[in-house]
Amino acid sequence: MLAILAALFATLLHLAMIMLLAPMVSGIVAKLRARLQGRRGPPWHQPYLDLRRLLHKTTLIPENATELYQLWPYIAFGAITAAVLLIPSFCTGLITAPISDFISFIGLLALARAAVLLAGLETGFGFGAAGAARDVLFGIFSEAALLVVVLTFVLIAHSPTIDGVSVAFRDHQIGLSVSLGFALVALLSVALTETGRMPSDNPAGHLELAMVHEAMILEYSGRLLFLFQYAAMLRLTMWMTLIGAVFLPFGVGRAESLLSWPLGILLWGGKMVFLASTLAGFEIFNAKMRVFRVPEFLGLALLLGMLSSIFLFVAARLGV
Amino acid sequence: MFGLPGQGMHFRADPITIFFLCVLIPQVIAAAIAGMRGSLSFWVFVLGMGLTLLAADAFTLVFGFELMSAASWLLVLRGDAKPAPLYIGIGLFSGACLIPAVFLSPGNIAFALILLGAGAKAGLAPLHFWLPRAHPAPPAGVSAVMSGGMVKVALYVIIRYGFVVFGNAVAPWWGEALVIAGAASVLLGSFWSFLEPELKTMLAYSTVEHVGLIAVGLGLALHAKALGDPALAALALQAALFCILAHGLFKPLLFLGAGAVKTATGTSSLNALGGLMRGMPRLGALMLVGAAGMAALPFGAGFAPEFLLLHSAFAAAASGGIVARIGFTALLVILGVAAALSLSAVIRLIGLGFLGRPRSLHVAAAEDAPRAVLGAIALLGILCALVGLLPGLVLLGLNPVVVELVPGAEPPSLAYAPLLLLCLGLVPIGLIYVLFRRFAVRGTREVPAWNGGFGRPPAWLPFGDPFTQPSGAGFSEPVRRAMGRGILTPGGGDWSVSYLYAPALRLQEQLTRLAEYVRRATVRQRLAFVLGSLVLALFVLGLAGGR
Repeated sequence: MLAILAALFATLLHLAMIMLLAPMVSGIVAKLRARLQGRRGPPWHQPYLDLRRLLHKTTLIPENATELYQLWPYIAFGAITAAVLLIPSFCTGLITAPISDFISFIGLLALARAAVLLAGLETGFGFGAAGAARDVLFGIFSEAALLVVVLTFVLIAHSPTIDGVSVAFRDHQIGLSVSLGFALVALLSVALTETGRMPSDNPAGHLELAMVHEAMILEYSGRLLFLFQYAAMLRLTMWMTLIGAVFLPFGVGRAESLLSWPLGILLWGGKMVFLASTLAGFEIFNAKMRVFRVPEFLGLALLLGMLSSIFLFVAARLGV
Repeated sequence: MFGLPGQGMHFRADPITIFFLCVLIPQVIAAAIAGMRGSLSFWVFVLGMGLTLLAADAFTLVFGFELMSAASWLLVLRGDAKPAPLYIGIGLFSGACLIPAVFLSPGNIAFALILLGAGAKAGLAPLHFWLPRAHPAPPAGVSAVMSGGMVKVALYVIIRYGFVVFGNAVAPWWGEALVIAGAASVLLGSFWSFLEPELKTMLAYSTVEHVGLIAVGLGLALHAKALGDPALAALALQAALFCILAHGLFKPLLFLGAGAVKTATGTSSLNALGGLMRGMPRLGALMLVGAAGMAALPFGAGFAPEFLLLHSAFAAAASGGIVARIGFTALLVILGVAAALSLSAVIRLIGLGFLGRPRSLHVAAAEDAPRAVLGAIALLGILCALVGLLPGLVLLGLNPVVVELVPGAEPPSLAYAPLLLLCLGLVPIGLIYVLFRRFAVRGTREVPAWNGGFGRPPAWLPFGDPFTQPSGAGFSEPVRRAMGRGILTPGGGDWSVSYLYAPALRLQEQLTRLAEYVRRATVRQRLAFVLGSLVLALFVLGLAGGR
């Protein structure tokens, strides 16, 4: 009973922390990126100001949108937060641990993507549709690559849940292996595409023709745009947390022992800052790719994902 | 009274039969409500399917199967005569394979014939090319039952013979053949359903994909059963049976909806539709339920089968020989690509057909479907939603069938809990709602779309220039460009058409020409032929006698 209460409390703390800190992670990435480029950049709390500004704007609905126009942002936001709740951040054993299956997680991401795509097609103008057509192309490769990477995790950890994989990688000596290296590169490529970051999409771009994610939400304004923007920030934090939970599992606490929480929270913050600075560093050294180069980029991720599983099979065969 | 002389017809109702009848009944009811109840051929068609499922002897099974083929041919002929010869040709082919197979003793040849015969009827690759031509031809109610029911009856034959009748002779390659054919169907079906602009043809291609998913599940189960792994067999069978059930609900729904769209607007091409959600809001909402199932999105009817299937692919890749494990990894890639492609196909269907701007006045003036059709679709929609939200209960119902097919298996319980996931999503939405009530500016204002700053369209184009809205082909162009080279033939066609259907057509033409030549032979040519063969026969006899 006490364990369940602790797990529930840990889950609520996890949700509150991610919901409150997600804008800050985006702000830190933007700030670091500007600094590395030699600019001063916006302050780290700029995303909070942006979100507050959106709350005070009137929500405009295009004439040729349907009744469902207002529904898509809620679906996208709900699916992303549900996915956030499945990933352990500062401690494992959240109350969602038994249902935190990787396939459910991928399904929730697909649901969020579907909502954004349909939002892009709402008004029937060219920009949204072009963005949607491109996002569809990226999604096909990234979903397949994610599945094979998950296969590697499941085979190593003998558990299909995110929580189980995180626990296995923390408690057992997995060691460094070629397989995990390939899986990491593949997962990073998928994460960069899914969060609309540099090689596939430019979050800071202002040219409608070159946009992917931003083009789909071009017509949105006010509180509906707030939901989309907030969901995008949550998505970035979610992917960072997932990569941290799988590849940097040290110091992750346990929900049932309250004493392990503070260290877990501190380390989680440290991992977020580390990943944010890595992302900023990666982004300033890379240019946005042509749309038709992105499938090659993701195809490489797919290949690496498959190779990581195949290396595991070979290792099992050789008895390593 | 009927049946083989002295034997009669025998019927039985074991869990497998009852399950398939449960799949069949809702769609037949819906199709009947939606306008097919007056058609005698339709009821003969349903009777044929029922006989096949209830049959306890080989003769009754084949009789029911052929009755189903013949009646559905009449129905196809009534809708659009063009694909009817191809359709009956495939029917004859599958009959020619099935009739010897059911009377052969259990073994490899018998199963191969069953796989060819029933697989052709189910639309398994590479024999799928007829399905997207024939299924859209008849009225929507028949298309619905053909896609949702008839292919399931063909799969029932594979299940009945592969698992039960030939159960003791099972060899690992049976499952492998099913997995390979299924994976090819999954890839081709999902890719083509994303490229195809005709609504009903697109849905038929999606049927090819789902038949492939079911075949992959059945193949994994047969493979595991042959290798003595009942746990994996049970998991894969759960996936296949759940997919049969879910597909039997959402595909008839979508077909009936496509028929209603065609009736209301006069067209069913995504290049001409648009903005239907405004004129047909109730149909649009029901189509969303079906589309969520087809796209295998969480909370839709199709997610639980996909979940189970991916987990069985994980489990299959976790053990066994190294080549098989690499093969199952490749299978996983195909399943992932196909899941994303079918999601994209659904986005295209809803986004270009029901959202956006109307592309013609007919489409703009569309009114919601008549009450009977809406009622039929709503019946399927409610069942779809129930199956999507309570997959655990459905699985409890499926488990007796699984145990019947794989004796001694313990069907695992489901790790996917849609109601809990729904709660997880609703809590933050509730928090945000409170935030909006407290701090955000209320209300909305309707304005012209911003469209990147472009000006308003001229007055004679009330919905804007239709050509600024992407067409069905335009939306799938990036994917076609990036992936078409590997999946399509160099000319952009289907492999099975270029390398199977077209050669068969050419062969038939040549044979016809030969027969025509023989028929037109003059008396002199015929006499020469008779004398020539007589001389040849005597010559052969003489050679034999001289020894």
